[in-house]
Amino acid sequence: MAMIEVKSITKSFPVKKYDQAAKKYVKDTLTVLRDFSVNFDQEGVTVLLGPSGTGKSTLLRCINGLETIDKGDIIVDGMSVRDKHQLRKIRETCGMVFQQTVLFPHLDVMDNLTLAPCTLLGMSKKDAVERAKQLLDKVGLLSKEKARHNELSGGEQQRIAIARALMMNPKALLLDEITSALDPEMTSEVLAILENLASEGVCMLAVTHEMAFAQHVASRILFMDKGSLVCDASKDDFFTIYRKENERIASFLKFIGE
Amino acid sequence: MQVFDFAAYARFKWSDMRMILKAMGVTLHVTLLSLAIGTLIGLILGLIRCAKNPIVNKLPLIVMEPLRNSPLIVQLFLVFFGLPSVGIRMKAMQAAVLTLSLNTAAFFAVLVHSSIKSIPEAQWEAGYALGFNKFQIYWKIIARQAIRLLIPQAITLYISQLQCSSLVSFLSLMDLSKAGQQVAQKTMLPFLIFGIVAGLYFVLSFPLARFAKYLEKRIGFTI
Repeated sequence: MAMIEVKSITKSFPVKKYDQAAKKYVKDTLTVLRDFSVNFDQEGVTVLLGPSGTGKSTLLRCINGLETIDKGDIIVDGMSVRDKHQLRKIRETCGMVFQQTVLFPHLDVMDNLTLAPCTLLGMSKKDAVERAKQLLDKVGLLSKEKARHNELSGGEQQRIAIARALMMNPKALLLDEITSALDPEMTSEVLAILENLASEGVCMLAVTHEMAFAQHVASRILFMDKGSLVCDASKDDFFTIYRKENERIASFLKFIGE
Repeated sequence: MQVFDFAAYARFKWSDMRMILKAMGVTLHVTLLSLAIGTLIGLILGLIRCAKNPIVNKLPLIVMEPLRNSPLIVQLFLVFFGLPSVGIRMKAMQAAVLTLSLNTAAFFAVLVHSSIKSIPEAQWEAGYALGFNKFQIYWKIIARQAIRLLIPQAITLYISQLQCSSLVSFLSLMDLSKAGQQVAQKTMLPFLIFGIVAGLYFVLSFPLARFAKYLEKRIGFTI
Protein backbone atom coordinates (compact mmCIF):
# COMPACT_ATOMS: atom_id res chain seq x y z
CA MET A 1 0.00 0.00 0.00
CA ALA A 2 1.26 3.43 -0.87
CA MET A 3 2.06 5.73 2.00
CA ILE A 4 0.13 8.68 0.61
CA GLU A 5 -2.90 7.91 -1.51
CA VAL A 6 -4.59 10.87 -3.14
CA LYS A 7 -8.00 9.63 -4.26
CA SER A 8 -9.63 11.79 -6.93
CA ILE A 9 -9.67 14.99 -4.91
CA THR A 10 -11.25 18.25 -6.01
CA LYS A 11 -10.24 21.53 -4.44
CA SER A 12 -11.60 24.92 -5.33
CA PHE A 13 -11.21 28.37 -3.82
CA PRO A 14 -13.84 31.10 -3.65
CA VAL A 15 -12.84 34.10 -5.74
CA LYS A 16 -14.47 37.34 -6.81
CA LYS A 17 -14.99 37.95 -10.49
CA TYR A 18 -15.96 41.18 -12.18
CA ASP A 19 -19.18 40.77 -14.10
CA GLN A 20 -18.98 43.15 -17.07
CA ALA A 21 -22.69 43.08 -17.78
CA ALA A 22 -23.87 43.65 -14.23
CA LYS A 23 -20.95 46.00 -13.44
CA LYS A 24 -20.24 44.44 -10.08
CA TYR A 25 -18.16 41.75 -8.46
CA VAL A 26 -19.78 38.35 -8.19
CA LYS A 27 -18.76 35.29 -6.25
CA ASP A 28 -17.11 32.59 -8.26
CA THR A 29 -15.05 29.51 -7.59
CA LEU A 30 -11.66 28.68 -8.97
CA THR A 31 -11.10 24.96 -9.20
CA VAL A 32 -7.44 24.27 -8.67
CA LEU A 33 -7.42 20.49 -8.51
CA ARG A 34 -10.04 18.54 -10.40
CA ASP A 35 -10.53 14.82 -9.80
CA PHE A 36 -6.86 14.42 -9.04
CA SER A 37 -5.37 11.06 -8.05
CA VAL A 38 -1.82 9.99 -7.37
CA ASN A 39 0.04 7.67 -5.04
CA PHE A 40 3.32 8.20 -3.25
CA ASP A 41 5.44 5.48 -1.74
CA GLN A 42 7.76 6.02 1.14
CA GLU A 43 10.89 6.04 -0.93
CA GLY A 44 13.08 8.44 -2.82
CA VAL A 45 12.44 11.99 -3.88
CA THR A 46 9.40 12.94 -5.90
CA VAL A 47 9.48 16.31 -7.61
CA LEU A 48 6.33 18.13 -8.65
CA LEU A 49 6.91 20.34 -11.66
CA GLY A 50 4.63 22.63 -13.55
CA PRO A 51 3.72 26.25 -14.16
CA SER A 52 2.47 28.47 -11.34
CA GLY A 53 -1.16 28.13 -10.39
CA THR A 54 -1.54 24.50 -11.36
CA GLY A 55 -2.17 23.28 -7.84
CA LYS A 56 1.21 21.85 -6.87
CA SER A 57 1.38 23.72 -3.58
CA THR A 58 -2.32 23.16 -3.02
CA LEU A 59 -1.77 19.42 -3.35
CA LEU A 60 0.94 19.51 -0.67
CA ARG A 61 -1.23 21.66 1.58
CA CYS A 62 -4.14 19.26 1.16
CA ILE A 63 -1.95 16.30 2.09
CA ASN A 64 -0.91 18.15 5.26
CA GLY A 65 -4.48 19.12 6.04
CA LEU A 66 -3.83 22.85 5.77
CA GLU A 67 -6.55 23.05 3.12
CA THR A 68 -9.81 21.16 3.33
CA ILE A 69 -10.69 19.19 0.24
CA ASP A 70 -14.07 19.48 -1.48
CA LYS A 71 -14.36 15.96 -2.83
CA GLY A 72 -12.36 12.76 -2.68
CA ASP A 73 -10.02 11.71 0.06
CA ILE A 74 -6.35 11.56 0.95
CA ILE A 75 -5.07 8.63 2.95
CA VAL A 76 -1.74 9.17 4.68
CA ASP A 77 -0.30 6.04 6.24
CA GLY A 78 -3.78 4.61 6.69
CA MET A 79 -5.28 7.84 8.08
CA SER A 80 -7.74 10.07 6.29
CA VAL A 81 -7.17 13.84 6.23
CA ARG A 82 -10.94 14.20 6.53
CA ASP A 83 -10.74 12.82 10.07
CA LYS A 84 -9.96 15.81 12.27
CA HIS A 85 -8.73 13.62 15.11
CA GLN A 86 -6.03 12.09 12.97
CA LEU A 87 -4.77 15.35 11.50
CA ARG A 88 -2.14 15.69 14.19
CA LYS A 89 -0.81 12.21 13.46
CA ILE A 90 -0.80 12.99 9.74
CA ARG A 91 1.15 16.16 10.33
CA GLU A 92 3.63 14.20 12.40
CA THR A 93 3.97 11.73 9.54
CA CYS A 94 4.51 14.47 6.94
CA GLY A 95 6.76 17.33 7.99
CA MET A 96 6.30 20.46 5.93
CA VAL A 97 8.62 23.32 4.97
CA PHE A 98 7.24 26.47 3.32
CA GLN A 99 8.43 28.94 0.74
CA GLN A 100 8.75 31.85 3.14
CA THR A 101 10.79 30.94 6.13
CA VAL A 102 8.62 30.80 9.20
CA LEU A 103 10.77 30.35 12.25
CA PHE A 104 9.10 31.49 15.45
CA PRO A 105 10.64 34.92 16.07
CA HIS A 106 10.14 34.86 19.83
CA LEU A 107 12.29 31.76 20.22
CA ASP A 108 15.95 31.10 19.49
CA VAL A 109 17.00 28.35 17.09
CA MET A 110 17.24 25.65 19.75
CA ASP A 111 13.78 26.41 21.15
CA ASN A 112 12.36 26.55 17.64
CA LEU A 113 13.52 22.99 17.19
CA THR A 114 12.55 21.60 20.57
CA LEU A 115 9.13 23.28 21.01
CA ALA A 116 7.11 20.80 18.96
CA PRO A 117 8.69 17.50 20.10
CA CYS A 118 8.61 18.56 23.76
CA THR A 119 4.97 19.65 23.59
CA LEU A 120 3.54 17.07 21.21
CA LEU A 121 5.67 13.94 21.52
CA GLY A 122 6.33 14.31 25.22
CA MET A 123 10.05 14.18 24.57
CA SER A 124 12.15 15.32 27.52
CA LYS A 125 13.95 18.60 27.07
CA LYS A 126 17.30 16.83 27.35
CA ASP A 127 16.53 14.30 24.63
CA ALA A 128 15.08 17.01 22.42
CA VAL A 129 18.20 19.16 22.77
CA GLU A 130 20.34 16.11 22.01
CA ARG A 131 18.39 15.37 18.85
CA ALA A 132 18.29 19.04 17.85
CA LYS A 133 22.08 19.15 18.07
CA GLN A 134 22.40 16.15 15.78
CA LEU A 135 20.08 17.73 13.23
CA LEU A 136 21.73 21.13 13.47
CA ASP A 137 25.00 19.39 12.82
CA LYS A 138 23.44 17.71 9.82
CA VAL A 139 22.35 21.05 8.33
CA GLY A 140 25.70 22.57 9.29
CA LEU A 141 24.41 25.14 11.76
CA LEU A 142 25.46 23.75 15.11
CA SER A 143 27.14 27.04 15.99
CA LYS A 144 23.88 28.96 15.59
CA GLU A 145 21.82 27.25 18.26
CA LYS A 146 21.40 30.42 20.30
CA ALA A 147 20.72 32.72 17.33
CA ARG A 148 17.42 34.49 16.68
CA HIS A 149 15.75 34.40 13.29
CA ASN A 150 16.90 37.91 12.38
CA GLU A 151 20.55 36.94 12.86
CA LEU A 152 20.25 34.24 10.21
CA SER A 153 20.37 34.50 6.43
CA GLY A 154 17.44 33.27 4.38
CA GLY A 155 19.27 30.07 3.49
CA GLU A 156 20.20 29.42 7.10
CA GLN A 157 16.60 29.99 8.19
CA GLN A 158 15.40 27.54 5.59
CA ARG A 159 17.94 24.95 6.76
CA ILE A 160 16.71 25.44 10.33
CA ALA A 161 13.14 25.02 9.11
CA ILE A 162 14.13 21.70 7.52
CA ALA A 163 15.77 20.60 10.77
CA ARG A 164 12.65 21.67 12.68
CA ALA A 165 10.46 19.52 10.45
CA LEU A 166 12.85 16.58 10.89
CA MET A 167 12.66 16.90 14.68
CA MET A 168 9.25 15.25 14.59
CA ASN A 169 10.78 12.24 12.86
CA PRO A 170 8.43 12.37 9.87
CA LYS A 171 8.15 9.58 7.34
CA ALA A 172 8.11 12.12 4.53
CA LEU A 173 9.04 15.76 4.04
CA LEU A 174 6.74 18.02 2.06
CA LEU A 175 8.78 20.85 0.58
CA ASP A 176 6.80 23.73 -0.87
CA GLU A 177 9.12 25.75 -3.15
CA ILE A 178 11.57 26.13 -0.32
CA THR A 179 14.29 27.73 -2.42
CA SER A 180 12.14 30.17 -4.40
CA ALA A 181 12.81 33.10 -2.10
CA LEU A 182 16.58 32.58 -1.97
CA ASP A 183 19.47 33.78 -4.10
CA PRO A 184 21.45 31.17 -6.11
CA GLU A 185 24.17 30.83 -3.48
CA MET A 186 21.76 30.16 -0.63
CA THR A 187 19.72 27.93 -2.91
CA SER A 188 22.70 25.68 -3.48
CA GLU A 189 23.33 25.65 0.29
CA VAL A 190 19.81 24.35 0.88
CA LEU A 191 19.88 21.94 -2.04
CA ALA A 192 23.12 20.43 -0.75
CA ILE A 193 21.35 19.66 2.52
CA LEU A 194 18.43 18.09 0.66
CA GLU A 195 20.78 15.99 -1.44
CA ASN A 196 22.42 14.74 1.73
CA LEU A 197 19.08 13.87 3.26
CA ALA A 198 17.99 12.10 0.10
CA SER A 199 21.12 9.98 0.12
CA GLU A 200 20.31 9.03 3.70
CA GLY A 201 16.96 7.74 2.50
CA VAL A 202 14.66 10.53 3.71
CA CYS A 203 11.51 10.45 1.60
CA MET A 204 10.66 13.83 0.09
CA LEU A 205 7.86 15.34 -1.91
CA ALA A 206 9.06 18.61 -3.35
CA VAL A 207 7.48 21.38 -5.35
CA THR A 208 10.33 23.20 -7.02
CA HIS A 209 11.45 25.21 -10.00
CA GLU A 210 15.05 24.15 -9.47
CA MET A 211 15.83 21.95 -12.44
CA ALA A 212 19.24 21.11 -11.02
CA PHE A 213 17.51 19.59 -8.02
CA ALA A 214 15.10 17.67 -10.19
CA GLN A 215 17.91 16.32 -12.34
CA HIS A 216 20.30 15.33 -9.59
CA VAL A 217 18.15 14.23 -6.72
CA ALA A 218 14.68 13.29 -7.94
CA SER A 219 13.77 9.71 -8.54
CA ARG A 220 10.29 10.41 -9.84
CA ILE A 221 8.86 13.45 -11.54
CA LEU A 222 5.24 14.54 -11.72
CA PHE A 223 4.35 17.23 -14.21
CA MET A 224 1.12 19.08 -13.52
CA ASP A 225 -0.75 21.54 -15.66
CA LYS A 226 -4.11 23.22 -15.00
CA GLY A 227 -4.93 21.05 -12.03
CA SER A 228 -4.33 17.70 -13.61
CA LEU A 229 -1.46 15.31 -13.97
CA VAL A 230 0.24 15.50 -17.36
CA CYS A 231 2.96 13.01 -16.72
CA ASP A 232 4.16 10.72 -13.98
CA ALA A 233 7.53 9.29 -14.85
CA SER A 234 10.91 8.36 -13.56
CA LYS A 235 13.46 11.13 -13.81
CA ASP A 236 15.30 9.57 -16.74
CA ASP A 237 12.14 9.00 -18.74
CA PHE A 238 10.97 12.54 -18.01
CA PHE A 239 14.09 14.27 -19.25
CA THR A 240 14.48 12.04 -22.31
CA ILE A 241 11.24 10.61 -23.63
CA TYR A 242 8.65 13.03 -22.28
CA ARG A 243 10.51 16.23 -23.05
CA LYS A 244 10.68 15.17 -26.67
CA GLU A 245 7.19 13.78 -27.03
CA ASN A 246 5.04 16.04 -24.89
CA GLU A 247 4.74 19.56 -26.26
CA ARG A 248 3.58 21.12 -23.01
CA ILE A 249 6.57 19.74 -21.11
CA ALA A 250 8.97 20.72 -23.87
CA SER A 251 7.79 24.33 -23.86
CA PHE A 252 7.84 24.53 -20.05
CA LEU A 253 11.41 23.24 -19.90
CA LYS A 254 12.45 25.62 -22.65
CA PHE A 255 11.26 28.62 -20.67
CA ILE A 256 12.89 27.47 -17.48
CA GLY A 257 16.22 27.34 -19.32
CA GLU A 258 16.78 23.63 -19.48
CA MET B 1 2.03 89.62 38.82
CA GLN B 2 0.45 87.21 41.21
CA VAL B 3 3.00 84.49 40.44
CA PHE B 4 5.77 86.56 42.07
CA ASP B 5 3.66 87.55 45.07
CA PHE B 6 5.42 85.15 47.41
CA ALA B 7 3.63 86.44 50.51
CA ALA B 8 0.36 85.17 49.03
CA TYR B 9 1.79 81.65 49.01
CA ALA B 10 1.24 81.59 52.76
CA ARG B 11 -2.45 81.03 51.95
CA PHE B 12 -1.52 77.57 50.78
CA LYS B 13 -1.60 75.55 54.01
CA TRP B 14 -0.19 72.12 54.74
CA SER B 15 -3.77 70.91 55.25
CA ASP B 16 -4.52 71.85 51.64
CA MET B 17 -1.56 69.82 50.45
CA ARG B 18 -2.76 66.89 52.53
CA MET B 19 -6.14 67.16 50.87
CA ILE B 20 -4.51 67.09 47.43
CA LEU B 21 -2.40 64.07 48.33
CA LYS B 22 -5.44 62.26 49.69
CA ALA B 23 -7.27 63.03 46.45
CA MET B 24 -4.31 61.63 44.55
CA GLY B 25 -5.03 58.39 46.37
CA VAL B 26 -8.60 58.49 45.09
CA THR B 27 -7.41 59.05 41.51
CA LEU B 28 -4.98 56.15 41.85
CA HIS B 29 -7.70 53.95 43.35
CA VAL B 30 -10.23 54.69 40.59
CA THR B 31 -7.63 54.34 37.84
CA LEU B 32 -5.91 51.15 38.98
CA LEU B 33 -9.16 49.37 39.77
CA SER B 34 -10.79 50.29 36.48
CA LEU B 35 -7.65 49.51 34.46
CA ALA B 36 -7.45 46.06 36.04
CA ILE B 37 -11.12 45.27 35.43
CA GLY B 38 -11.04 46.91 31.99
CA THR B 39 -7.99 44.92 30.91
CA LEU B 40 -9.62 41.66 31.92
CA ILE B 41 -12.92 42.40 30.16
CA GLY B 42 -11.06 43.88 27.18
CA LEU B 43 -8.93 40.75 26.86
CA ILE B 44 -12.04 38.56 26.75
CA LEU B 45 -13.81 40.85 24.24
CA GLY B 46 -10.65 41.03 22.11
CA LEU B 47 -10.31 37.25 22.01
CA ILE B 48 -13.96 36.88 21.01
CA ARG B 49 -13.27 39.41 18.23
CA CYS B 50 -10.61 36.99 16.91
CA ALA B 51 -13.08 34.10 16.66
CA LYS B 52 -13.53 32.57 13.24
CA ASN B 53 -17.33 32.56 13.30
CA PRO B 54 -18.45 35.75 11.51
CA ILE B 55 -21.41 36.27 13.84
CA VAL B 56 -19.61 35.52 17.10
CA ASN B 57 -16.71 37.80 16.29
CA LYS B 58 -19.04 40.76 15.71
CA LEU B 59 -20.84 40.38 19.05
CA PRO B 60 -18.30 42.35 21.13
CA LEU B 61 -18.82 45.31 18.79
CA ILE B 62 -22.29 45.82 20.28
CA VAL B 63 -20.58 46.82 23.50
CA MET B 64 -17.37 48.25 22.09
CA GLU B 65 -18.58 50.67 19.44
CA PRO B 66 -20.91 52.80 21.62
CA LEU B 67 -18.17 52.99 24.26
CA ARG B 68 -15.50 53.97 21.78
CA ASN B 69 -17.63 56.48 19.95
CA SER B 70 -19.10 58.59 22.70
CA PRO B 71 -17.34 60.93 25.11
CA LEU B 72 -16.35 59.47 28.45
CA ILE B 73 -17.97 62.37 30.27
CA VAL B 74 -21.34 61.55 28.66
CA GLN B 75 -20.93 57.90 29.64
CA LEU B 76 -20.21 58.95 33.22
CA PHE B 77 -23.31 61.17 33.33
CA LEU B 78 -25.42 58.43 31.78
CA VAL B 79 -24.39 55.91 34.42
CA PHE B 80 -24.42 58.22 37.44
CA PHE B 81 -27.36 60.52 36.66
CA GLY B 82 -29.24 58.47 34.08
CA LEU B 83 -29.36 54.97 35.53
CA PRO B 84 -31.19 56.02 38.75
CA SER B 85 -34.23 56.79 36.60
CA VAL B 86 -34.41 53.09 35.69
CA GLY B 87 -33.90 52.14 39.31
CA ILE B 88 -30.16 51.48 39.31
CA ARG B 89 -28.53 53.69 41.89
CA MET B 90 -24.88 53.64 42.75
CA LYS B 91 -22.32 55.65 44.60
CA ALA B 92 -20.11 58.07 42.69
CA MET B 93 -17.10 55.78 43.21
CA GLN B 94 -18.93 52.74 41.84
CA ALA B 95 -20.25 54.64 38.85
CA ALA B 96 -16.78 56.02 38.13
CA VAL B 97 -15.06 52.63 38.31
CA LEU B 98 -17.79 50.90 36.28
CA THR B 99 -17.73 53.48 33.50
CA LEU B 100 -13.96 53.77 33.31
CA SER B 101 -13.62 49.97 33.31
CA LEU B 102 -16.01 49.52 30.41
CA ASN B 103 -14.41 52.38 28.53
CA THR B 104 -10.94 50.89 29.02
CA ALA B 105 -12.24 47.45 28.04
CA ALA B 106 -13.58 48.74 24.72
CA PHE B 107 -10.25 50.27 23.74
CA PHE B 108 -8.21 47.39 25.13
CA ALA B 109 -10.25 44.89 23.11
CA VAL B 110 -9.30 46.71 19.91
CA LEU B 111 -5.63 46.52 20.87
CA VAL B 112 -5.84 42.80 21.65
CA HIS B 113 -7.64 42.10 18.40
CA SER B 114 -5.23 44.11 16.27
CA SER B 115 -2.14 42.67 17.99
CA ILE B 116 -3.27 39.11 17.39
CA LYS B 117 -4.36 39.82 13.83
CA SER B 118 -1.01 41.36 12.96
CA ILE B 119 0.84 38.10 13.60
CA PRO B 120 1.32 36.70 10.09
CA GLU B 121 -0.91 33.84 8.97
CA ALA B 122 2.28 31.92 8.16
CA GLN B 123 2.98 31.55 11.89
CA TRP B 124 -0.33 29.74 12.31
CA GLU B 125 0.39 27.49 9.36
CA ALA B 126 3.86 26.67 10.61
CA GLY B 127 2.28 25.71 13.92
CA TYR B 128 -0.42 23.59 12.31
CA ALA B 129 2.12 21.90 10.04
CA LEU B 130 4.12 20.81 13.10
CA GLY B 131 0.98 19.24 14.56
CA PHE B 132 -0.03 21.83 17.18
CA ASN B 133 -3.71 22.41 17.79
CA LYS B 134 -5.33 25.83 17.82
CA PHE B 135 -4.98 26.46 21.53
CA GLN B 136 -1.36 25.33 21.62
CA ILE B 137 -0.59 27.71 18.77
CA TYR B 138 -2.42 30.55 20.52
CA TRP B 139 -0.57 29.97 23.74
CA LYS B 140 2.91 28.94 22.62
CA ILE B 141 3.31 30.96 19.44
CA ILE B 142 0.77 33.71 18.80
CA ALA B 143 0.22 35.11 22.29
CA ARG B 144 3.92 35.45 22.96
CA GLN B 145 4.44 37.47 19.82
CA ALA B 146 1.23 39.46 20.14
CA ILE B 147 2.05 40.57 23.66
CA ARG B 148 5.19 42.25 22.39
CA LEU B 149 3.01 44.37 20.12
CA LEU B 150 0.35 44.85 22.76
CA ILE B 151 2.40 46.13 25.69
CA PRO B 152 3.49 49.55 24.39
CA GLN B 153 0.02 50.28 23.04
CA ALA B 154 -1.64 49.12 26.25
CA ILE B 155 0.55 51.38 28.34
CA THR B 156 -0.24 54.34 26.11
CA LEU B 157 -3.91 53.54 26.72
CA TYR B 158 -3.31 53.28 30.48
CA ILE B 159 -1.63 56.67 30.54
CA SER B 160 -4.47 58.28 28.65
CA GLN B 161 -7.07 56.59 30.88
CA LEU B 162 -5.22 57.86 33.97
CA GLN B 163 -5.63 61.38 32.66
CA CYS B 164 -9.22 60.78 31.60
CA SER B 165 -9.96 59.70 35.16
CA SER B 166 -9.94 63.41 35.99
CA LEU B 167 -13.42 63.51 34.45
CA VAL B 168 -14.82 61.64 37.44
CA SER B 169 -14.49 64.92 39.35
CA PHE B 170 -17.77 65.85 37.63
CA LEU B 171 -19.46 63.15 39.70
CA SER B 172 -18.47 65.12 42.82
CA LEU B 173 -15.80 62.54 43.49
CA MET B 174 -12.88 64.09 45.35
CA ASP B 175 -10.14 63.06 42.96
CA LEU B 176 -6.91 64.88 42.18
CA SER B 177 -8.37 67.44 39.79
CA LYS B 178 -11.45 68.11 41.93
CA ALA B 179 -9.27 68.71 44.98
CA GLY B 180 -7.07 70.95 42.84
CA GLN B 181 -10.11 73.02 41.84
CA GLN B 182 -11.28 73.42 45.42
CA VAL B 183 -7.89 74.32 46.82
CA ALA B 184 -7.25 76.73 43.96
CA GLN B 185 -10.56 78.46 44.63
CA LYS B 186 -9.92 78.65 48.33
CA THR B 187 -6.36 79.93 48.18
CA MET B 188 -6.80 81.93 44.96
CA LEU B 189 -3.47 80.54 43.76
CA PRO B 190 -4.55 78.71 40.56
CA PHE B 191 -1.13 78.79 38.88
CA LEU B 192 0.63 77.21 41.84
CA ILE B 193 -2.10 74.71 42.69
CA PHE B 194 -2.80 73.48 39.17
CA GLY B 195 0.95 73.39 38.63
CA ILE B 196 1.26 71.04 41.60
CA VAL B 197 -1.71 68.97 40.41
CA ALA B 198 -0.23 68.65 36.92
CA GLY B 199 3.08 67.66 38.51
CA LEU B 200 1.39 64.94 40.54
CA TYR B 201 -0.32 63.53 37.44
CA PHE B 202 3.10 63.53 35.82
CA VAL B 203 4.56 61.64 38.78
CA LEU B 204 1.88 58.99 38.34
CA SER B 205 2.09 58.57 34.59
CA PHE B 206 5.75 59.13 33.74
CA PRO B 207 7.04 55.99 35.52
CA LEU B 208 4.38 54.06 33.60
CA ALA B 209 5.78 55.35 30.33
CA ARG B 210 9.35 54.45 31.36
CA PHE B 211 8.13 51.04 32.46
CA ALA B 212 6.67 50.49 28.99
CA LYS B 213 10.05 51.24 27.43
CA TYR B 214 11.72 48.84 29.84
CA LEU B 215 9.27 46.05 29.10
CA GLU B 216 9.68 46.59 25.38
CA LYS B 217 13.43 46.08 25.70
CA ARG B 218 13.05 43.22 28.14
CA ILE B 219 10.88 41.15 25.81
CA GLY B 220 13.22 42.17 23.04
CA PHE B 221 12.80 40.28 19.82
CA THR B 222 11.77 41.52 16.44
CA ILE B 223 9.03 40.16 14.31
